[in-house]
Amino acid sequence: MTDTALPPRRFRLPAALRHWSIATGAVILAVVVLAAILAPWVAPYDPFRMGSGPRLSPPGAAHWFGTDELGRDLFSRVLLGARASLGIGLAAVVAGLGLGVSFGLVIAFCPARLKGLLLRIVDVVYSFPDTLLALALVAFLGPGAENATLAIAISLIPFYARVTYGLAAVERAKPYVEAAQIAGTAPTRIMRVQVLPNILQSLIVIGSIGFSSAILSAAGLSFLGLGVQPPSPEWGSILASGRNYIARAPWILIFPGLAICLTVLSFNLIGDGIRDLTDPKGRRRRG
Amino acid sequence: MTVLPRLTLSALLLGASALTALPLAAETTLTVARSVDADGLDPQKVSTTQSSQVTDLIFDTLVSLDATGAPHPALAESWTISEDNLTYSFTIRQGLTCHDGAAFGPEDVVFTFTRAVAPETMNPRLSQYGPIESVTAEGNVVTVKMTEPYGPFLSYLGSFALPMLCKGSVAADGAFAPIGTGPFSLVEWVRNDHITLKANDAYQGFGQLVENKGRPHIDTLKLVVIPEAVARMAALRSGEVDLAEPSLEEAAMLSGEPGFKIYSADLSGQQVMAAFTWKLPPFDNPEVRRAIGMALDRDAYAAIAYEGLVSPTTCPAAPGLIGVDQEKCAEWGTKYDPDAARAIMEGLGYTPQNPLKIKLSVHALPGFDQMHQMMQQHLAEIGVEAELETREVAAFFDQMSQENQRTEGMPVLWTMGYSGVDSDYMTVMWQQPGFVNMGVGAELDTMLADQRMLTGEARVAKLQEVQKYLLENTYAVPLVSPGWNWLWASTDKIEGFKTGFVASLIFNDVKKID
Amino acid sequence: MLTFVARRLLTAAITILVVVFLAGVLIHLVPGDPITAMLAQSGNASAADIARLTQQYGLDRPVWQQALIYVGNVLQGDLGTTIRGNEPVAPLLLGRLPNTIALAVAGLGTALALGIPMGVIAAVNRGRAADFAVMLIAILGVSIPGFWMGLTFIQVFSLHLGWFPVAGTSARNIVLPALTLGIVHSALVARMTRSALIDILNEDYIRTARARGLREREVLMVHAMRPAMISIVTVVGLVFAHLLGGQVITENVFSWNGIGRLAIQAMLQRDYPLVQGFIVIFATSIVLVTTALDLLYGLLDPRVRRR
Repeated sequence: MTDTALPPRRFRLPAALRHWSIATGAVILAVVVLAAILAPWVAPYDPFRMGSGPRLSPPGAAHWFGTDELGRDLFSRVLLGARASLGIGLAAVVAGLGLGVSFGLVIAFCPARLKGLLLRIVDVVYSFPDTLLALALVAFLGPGAENATLAIAISLIPFYARVTYGLAAVERAKPYVEAAQIAGTAPTRIMRVQVLPNILQSLIVIGSIGFSSAILSAAGLSFLGLGVQPPSPEWGSILASGRNYIARAPWILIFPGLAICLTVLSFNLIGDGIRDLTDPKGRRRRG
Repeated sequence: MTVLPRLTLSALLLGASALTALPLAAETTLTVARSVDADGLDPQKVSTTQSSQVTDLIFDTLVSLDATGAPHPALAESWTISEDNLTYSFTIRQGLTCHDGAAFGPEDVVFTFTRAVAPETMNPRLSQYGPIESVTAEGNVVTVKMTEPYGPFLSYLGSFALPMLCKGSVAADGAFAPIGTGPFSLVEWVRNDHITLKANDAYQGFGQLVENKGRPHIDTLKLVVIPEAVARMAALRSGEVDLAEPSLEEAAMLSGEPGFKIYSADLSGQQVMAAFTWKLPPFDNPEVRRAIGMALDRDAYAAIAYEGLVSPTTCPAAPGLIGVDQEKCAEWGTKYDPDAARAIMEGLGYTPQNPLKIKLSVHALPGFDQMHQMMQQHLAEIGVEAELETREVAAFFDQMSQENQRTEGMPVLWTMGYSGVDSDYMTVMWQQPGFVNMGVGAELDTMLADQRMLTGEARVAKLQEVQKYLLENTYAVPLVSPGWNWLWASTDKIEGFKTGFVASLIFNDVKKID
Repeated sequence: MLTFVARRLLTAAITILVVVFLAGVLIHLVPGDPITAMLAQSGNASAADIARLTQQYGLDRPVWQQALIYVGNVLQGDLGTTIRGNEPVAPLLLGRLPNTIALAVAGLGTALALGIPMGVIAAVNRGRAADFAVMLIAILGVSIPGFWMGLTFIQVFSLHLGWFPVAGTSARNIVLPALTLGIVHSALVARMTRSALIDILNEDYIRTARARGLREREVLMVHAMRPAMISIVTVVGLVFAHLLGGQVITENVFSWNGIGRLAIQAMLQRDYPLVQGFIVIFATSIVLVTTALDLLYGLLDPRVRRR
């Protein structure tokens, strides 16, 4: 118990990059981000143009990743798809983290009875199948990239709220917060000035964990046809429209699938590394 | 002591060799993979194609339609229609047995009709029964009285939507168990997993599309649910199932591969078309609708989006249905002509630099998805910028019933598919308020009401008048037929599988060869 | 003590009711209605049919009224009948629960069978190449989209190798979906095993055991694994809860007849009674489990009761 009460270990970037999994993850992520940024200049073809090549032609010199069912260049589409996938992931995590942290803090500081009920509700929503939750939300909001992002963000809220509550409850029990409360400081001020800065670092770490699940959720929603709308390329939607070519033109599934794997892998590696570095147990007996 | 076992052994061996010598004596099970399960097996409470495909195997119909849609005797051995087209008298065939062993008779027919139209049944297909006033039986004759003439009645009685139940289907406590006179009886249903049916030994068939009028050749029919198309096709290729709903993409590939057969539902009655929210400017201008109709290349959609497994069509009702004539419709409707379309749009001030912005609202279906992306590109060529908006089915039709009522906002081009055994479905769709509020106006309403009162050539002429009106005013742009759930694939060990009206499945003639 | 138990149970009951009511309201706000969706797929739907059925099912009433009626029915133990096919909701859902639990247990078993050895190897070789390699494999497993892995497994193991059937709900069918779920969840198990073991291997009594000349294998299996299992068990609960709910897409890909697939279908068809029934059953089991844990903590630690 004493471990969690210790102030979090300072987290320094140069040192972190020496951690094998963070370094590997960072390299992969850098490539993906670079691809997303440079896509319009690097892509050999217009990713939307049908008949850039013969339909369903296999990977080759003219089309590195082959072409899809409408003769569009798959390499160009996967390249541009990085933008949609990363964009959705980033937006969903930022929005979900913001709202989740607010909820978590409010729950931590609300009267005991209400707290019990709110926590239970958060628990129930958190334990709900995330696919079903996101699906219900997209059905409610309508399909499309923005709504899918929102749905993923909302489905991330209970997780972030639960974690924030846990961290904030620990902070709240500390003498300096109790002192502030006795001194009559407003709860909102305590949250903002004393609690939030102290848990911020842990939250950033948790944010990176949400990233990989957000990207997988986005791919899943697109796979169900509820995410990014055609003809815009997104890895999940390329997979969804190409899945029935698994026997005839497997490259339509292989390349976007690999892109998802590598991107999610990079975030997971970074998250794993950060956890490793900040895990109080692992650290105490280091050396 | 040693003689007896030896004898038994040789008797066993003899028996075994006799069994192998007579392959027909072995039980034949046909396993069929579908994407979606039935909602229920009570034909008066369900309405989806996947449900009716099953109830159609358990129950038979009063009349049987031939390939041209003309009615022939089935459970009714004959019938007469009164001069005023209000009274139908059906003579019910004798000597038929229900799955529970009871004799099938006129009282079962009366039971079926009475239950079908009772409000507490909550029958989703009530309107197809028509304006029924009374149903009575006298001797072998069942008399159905209508309050007004109802032209499509016999067509619907021949479809899987209005089958005849046996009284035994409903127990004293109201519980329902499907008991009919059809070629198969129900053994087991595990919802969302499988339905097991066994051949009805006492079956007497009257289906016009069927050769084998007796008991089906196969003994057991197992309908399994495999929602993912990739898995369905893997199951077919691995031999786990004999027949499967293929994905469009793999069907195209299999059709050129030895060892497999592809079936297309020729009598599907399905029609895919594009429609407009014509109350919203500039879609209130028939010229704009016309230009858009001319931009859509139905030949390309059929060949590329649907992999050549459908045909381009020009009529608002499906090929093969009464009053449907593709050549006449081609005259009345729009032809693919992007240059002329572009000229019309330019004349109205819309260019690729200053495009008309519309929404292309659709719901996701195989083939449709690719077609919509192609439509989007074709529209861009004539100065129309279409934003694709895909919804799932429930939300899509809800959205369209609102869009079709709006009088301001962004115009919407939308696609839909409709199916049935009679061109009368144009009434269901276009008569105000119409399906999802797509009704057009009083002039069309009158024509649609009139065709229901007519029979024969007069009805054909009136149905064509309806289609001419829809096409000349470009309320509809017919695209292709069929369009959904119409494909089947089997291994080449299966012989005699057929599809009937509205994508029904016919297993009476199916044989499994080795 | 009694008041503590009573208070906890009351909170639990109120939570379930609030969740059910909220779900009832929210689901009706989702655009699209079951009748239009159902009749649109029938090919012959007149506007009159739609209006009549909407009224007969009570779907034209205000949303809050429908939700209240529903809560009232649930209090009387009635989960209603489905709109599609008119079947009682409760047996439909409860009949699928064993399948879902079976797959969750099999997935959990696979996750442990894969994760624990990986964690052990990583911990023993801490900081060496084997540690990196094993953890990279574990993390790679959690990075592959489940549906993609599932489709690939079907192609490879069912179609090309013919080892397992493609579809269905039986003992032989469970292998591939369990493997898919197991791989996805093994990373967490591997991670927990690794960090728990690393902790324990640094403890003084392990050093003593080593100093006594015990073989490394014995030290690991006898002295280190047992205490490590305690940490691993805490993960098991987490993974299991997630598996119960999070296997919807896997169920679909492998045609596993579970509760998640039914729920997704009900959601897409707007079969309100079925969706609400799912929410009631799901929420009740979650609340019951958390309440039971709470009571247990309360019994073990008197301080909790005063909260």
